[in-house]
Amino acid sequence: MIAQLVDLARRRADGGADALWRRFERTTVAFEWGRLKSAGTTEEAGANLRVRHRGRVGVAGTTAVGGGDAGEQYAAPLLERALASAELGEALDLEFPGPPSPPATLPTVTTFFDRAANASLDDLIGLGRSLLARLEREGCRVTVAIEREVTATRVANSAGAAGEYRGTGFGVSADVWRIAGDDVLVVSDAFEGADLPSDEALAALVASINARLDHALRIVAAPEGALPVVFTPVGLSALMLPVTQALSGKAVLQGISPLGAKVGEQVFDPRFSLTDDPLCGGRIASRPLDDECVPSRTLSLVEGGVVQRFMYDLETAARAKTRSTGHGQRGIFGKPVPAYTNIVLSGGAQQVGPVQLGGGLLGDIRDGLLVDELIGVGQGNVTGGAFSHPVALAYRIEAGEITGRVKDAAVAGNAYELWKQVRSFGNDARWTGSRWAPSVLFDGVSVAHR
Amino acid sequence: MIDRLTAALARSRADYTEIRVERTWSTAVTFRGRRLESATASEDQGGFVRALYAGGGWGVASFTSLDRLEAMVARAGELSRAVPVDPPIRLADVPPHQADALLDLDGDVRGVPIAEKKRLLEAYNGVMLGVSDRIVDTLAVYRDEVSEYWYVNSQGTRLHELRPEVTLSGTAVARRDGTIEKGLESIGLRRGWKSVQDKAAGFREVAERAVQLLDAPMVQGGTYPVILDPELAGVFIHEAFGHLSEADFVYENPQAREMMTLGRRFGKPVLNVGDNGAASGLRGTLPFDDEGTPTQDTALIRDGILVGRLHSRETAAAMGERPTGNARAISFRHPPIVRMTNTYIAGATGGASFEDLIGDVKLGVYACGAFGGQTMLENFSFTAAYGRMIRDGRVAELVKDVVLAGNLFQTLDRIDHIAADFRWNQMGGGCGKAGQYPLAVTEGAPHVRIEEALVGGEVGKA
Repeated sequence: MIAQLVDLARRRADGGADALWRRFERTTVAFEWGRLKSAGTTEEAGANLRVRHRGRVGVAGTTAVGGGDAGEQYAAPLLERALASAELGEALDLEFPGPPSPPATLPTVTTFFDRAANASLDDLIGLGRSLLARLEREGCRVTVAIEREVTATRVANSAGAAGEYRGTGFGVSADVWRIAGDDVLVVSDAFEGADLPSDEALAALVASINARLDHALRIVAAPEGALPVVFTPVGLSALMLPVTQALSGKAVLQGISPLGAKVGEQVFDPRFSLTDDPLCGGRIASRPLDDECVPSRTLSLVEGGVVQRFMYDLETAARAKTRSTGHGQRGIFGKPVPAYTNIVLSGGAQQVGPVQLGGGLLGDIRDGLLVDELIGVGQGNVTGGAFSHPVALAYRIEAGEITGRVKDAAVAGNAYELWKQVRSFGNDARWTGSRWAPSVLFDGVSVAHR
Repeated sequence: MIDRLTAALARSRADYTEIRVERTWSTAVTFRGRRLESATASEDQGGFVRALYAGGGWGVASFTSLDRLEAMVARAGELSRAVPVDPPIRLADVPPHQADALLDLDGDVRGVPIAEKKRLLEAYNGVMLGVSDRIVDTLAVYRDEVSEYWYVNSQGTRLHELRPEVTLSGTAVARRDGTIEKGLESIGLRRGWKSVQDKAAGFREVAERAVQLLDAPMVQGGTYPVILDPELAGVFIHEAFGHLSEADFVYENPQAREMMTLGRRFGKPVLNVGDNGAASGLRGTLPFDDEGTPTQDTALIRDGILVGRLHSRETAAAMGERPTGNARAISFRHPPIVRMTNTYIAGATGGASFEDLIGDVKLGVYACGAFGGQTMLENFSFTAAYGRMIRDGRVAELVKDVVLAGNLFQTLDRIDHIAADFRWNQMGGGCGKAGQYPLAVTEGAPHVRIEEALVGGEVGKA
C-alpha cells in the first residue's frame, strides 16, 4: 500500500515524504483511412516517491510495482534511489501539507463514470463506425480514433494527508483528409471528456468538421495588412499560450514572466477573465486533490482584465514563499511540476441553438481573416508574447461572410498587445482539450501572404 | 528472456505474433540557473505484443508487469479477431534474423555515479552563466539511458540488443529590460559517457549569441534568397519532406499516392535526399527496426526525382514495394509505425563552398540553427535560432526572429545550389508523430540555397 511506502520512507527521511501510485487501463480503437484497422489495450502501473532528507529533496519512480500496489519488495529499492537523489538535491524548505480540516472533507467532483468504464470494445467500434459514416464524403478519407481510459490514483504524505479516486476518460478524434493535386486539406476535431460523449457532443463534432470543410473547398487569395482577425476556440492557442505560461509561478520565479510584477494591474481587456478549475464536472483533468495531496479549488488567475495570482505546486510555492494553489502534477518518473487542469476563459455570451463558425463575430468585418489552426505554435520565444505563424487552416471574411479558404498566409502580432483591447468575444465557447474558450475578434492583426 | 518470450509466442494462436520487451535504466540531471532542479535515476520496464489473425486487424497490448505476458499475448489475439478488416492486412516478407547486437556503450553510463554527471552538467551550465550578467536564466539537461531490448516474432526472428543513448541540452536566456532572447545547444548521441566530455565550447557559443541577439534587429519580413546552414537544412528536409515520404501517409490514400508518385520531379537535378538507418554511429542508427527488418540506406530523391519511400512491412506489402527497416516505436508503450532514422540532403559532388552559394546574392538571409519546425503536410514553418543578412555576396549583420514559412513543393523546387560541406547534426530532442515523441533521429545536410523563400518577422509591416 502507498501508506506503507510513505511510512517506510518517513523512518529514513528526516524531512518527510510523499508518494503517488497510479494505475491505468486504456482501450483504443483506430480507423485508418476509412476502415477499422486495430484495437489495443494498455495496462500500466507505477509509483513515484519524493523524500526530504537533511533539508534536501530527492525523487524516484518505478514501473516495477508488480500487478498490484507498491508492495514492500518494490518499496525498498525505490526508497534507496529517492534517498540517493536527495543526497544531490539542493536544499529546499518543502513542507508537506497536513490533512484538510475538518478531517476527511475533500471537495466533491465526479471523475468516474460507469457508462464510460463499462463500455465494451464493441461499443467503441460502434461509436467509431457511426462517426465514420457521418463524415464520409466523396474525394475524402477519414481517420477516427477512440480511446477509453480507466484510472486509479492514490496519494499520501508523511504529514497525514491522503486521497484516492478513480477516474474515467474518453477521447474521440476525427480527421477528414482531402488531397486534390498538391492541395492537402485536413479538417479535424476531437471530443475529450470523462464520460461517453453524448449524441449532441458527437453531432457537434460532425457539424464542426463539416462546416469547416464546406467553406474550405473554395480557395481564395489571402488579404494583406493590419486586419480584423477572428481566432476560433482552436485557433486561439497562439494567443493563450504566452498568457498561461506567464501566469505559471514557475515562469515568475525564473524572472521570465512579463506578468511577474503585474498583480493587481489592468493588463488585459476588462472582459477577459481566466480561471483554472479542477472541480469542473465531466472533465478528464478534474480531481478532488492534486498529486501532492493539496485539495483542489478553483483558482482565479485574471479577473476583469486584472492579474490576480499565479499557479503553484508545492516546490515553486516554497521557493516563492507562498502557498501551493493545488497544481502539482506528477507522472511515474521525475518530480512533480506545476500544471493547469481546466483553463476557462470567460467573456462573451453562450449561444442558444446551433453554433456558427466564427461565433457570430463575422457580421461587421469588411475584409479580414478567420483563423482556425496555425503552424508552429509553441516554437520560438513564446513567453514574450510575440508570434508569427503560417496558417494551416484559415478563411477569408469579406462583407461579413466567409468567402473561402486562404492558403500561404501568415499572421503575426503580440499576444499582450492584442489582449489589451479585444473587439468582441464570440458566442461559441467550447472545450478544446482542457481549455474552454469562445472565438475572439481582434483588430489590427498583421496578415501577410506570398 | 528470449526463451520466455519464445515460449509465450508458441502459445499464441494468431497467424502472426510479435513480442518486444524493454528494460531501461536512465538518469537525468537538470539545472535551472544556478540551481540543481533534479537528479533522478529511473528504471522502466514493460512489454508489447502485436497479433494478427488472417482477416483481422492488429491486436495490440502493452503492459508494465511482465507477469502479465502470457495473458497479454492472448488478449492481443482476441483484439485482432474482434476487428475484422477487409481487404486483409498483409506483411511483406523479411527473412528471419537472429542477432545479439550489443552496441558499443563507449563508457557505460550505468557505471558512472550520478554525482559525477551532476558535476559535468554543472560545469557546462556554469559556462553559459559565466558569459555575461545579461544571462538571466539557463536550463541545462543531461540525460542518459541504456535500454536492454528483446524482440521475437512468430516467423523466427530473435533479437537481443543493448542500446545506449546520451543527450545534453542547454538553453541560455538573455534579458535586457523587456527583451528576452535565447540560445540553444543540443547534443544527442547513441553512445556513452566518454562522448559527452569536452563539450563546453558549444554551450559558451549559444550563450554568447543569446546576448548578441539582444541588440540584433528583427529580420524584415519578405521574400529573399535564403541560405540554410547544415543544421537548419537538415531540420527542413526531415520536417518538410521526410514525413511525406513515410508510406503510411500514402499507402491507403489514393490521392496522396498520386501526389507522391515515384518518378515525379520534386526538385532541380542538384537535389539528392535519403534516409539511412544503417549509417555508422548516429543516434537514429540501429541494426534492425522494431519489426525485425534490417535498416538500410534508402534513396528518396535522386537528381531531383522521387525514387523511394520509407516502409514498414505492412505498407511495403500494400504498395508492392520492399520494406526499408523504418517501422519504429519509441518504447514498449507504442506500436511500430513508419518513421525516419537518419535523414539527409547529400552534399554536392562538385565541391561548391558556402562562398559559392552567397557570391551572387545581393540581398538575402543566412538562416542558422533551429529552435523548432512544424509541418502540416505541404505547409511548413521553421524558426531559425538566428540569422545573418547577406549583402552584396557577403555575410552581414545578425538578425533575429527568422521564421521560414512556405509550401513544400515550391520550396524544394527552388533549391538551386547545394554545397559540398555535408555534416550530420547530432542533436538531442527527437521526432514526434502519432503521439510518439521523442524518437531518436539524426539529420544531415550541407549548406543549401533556396532561390526565393518567405521569411516571417515583421510580417505586414514590410
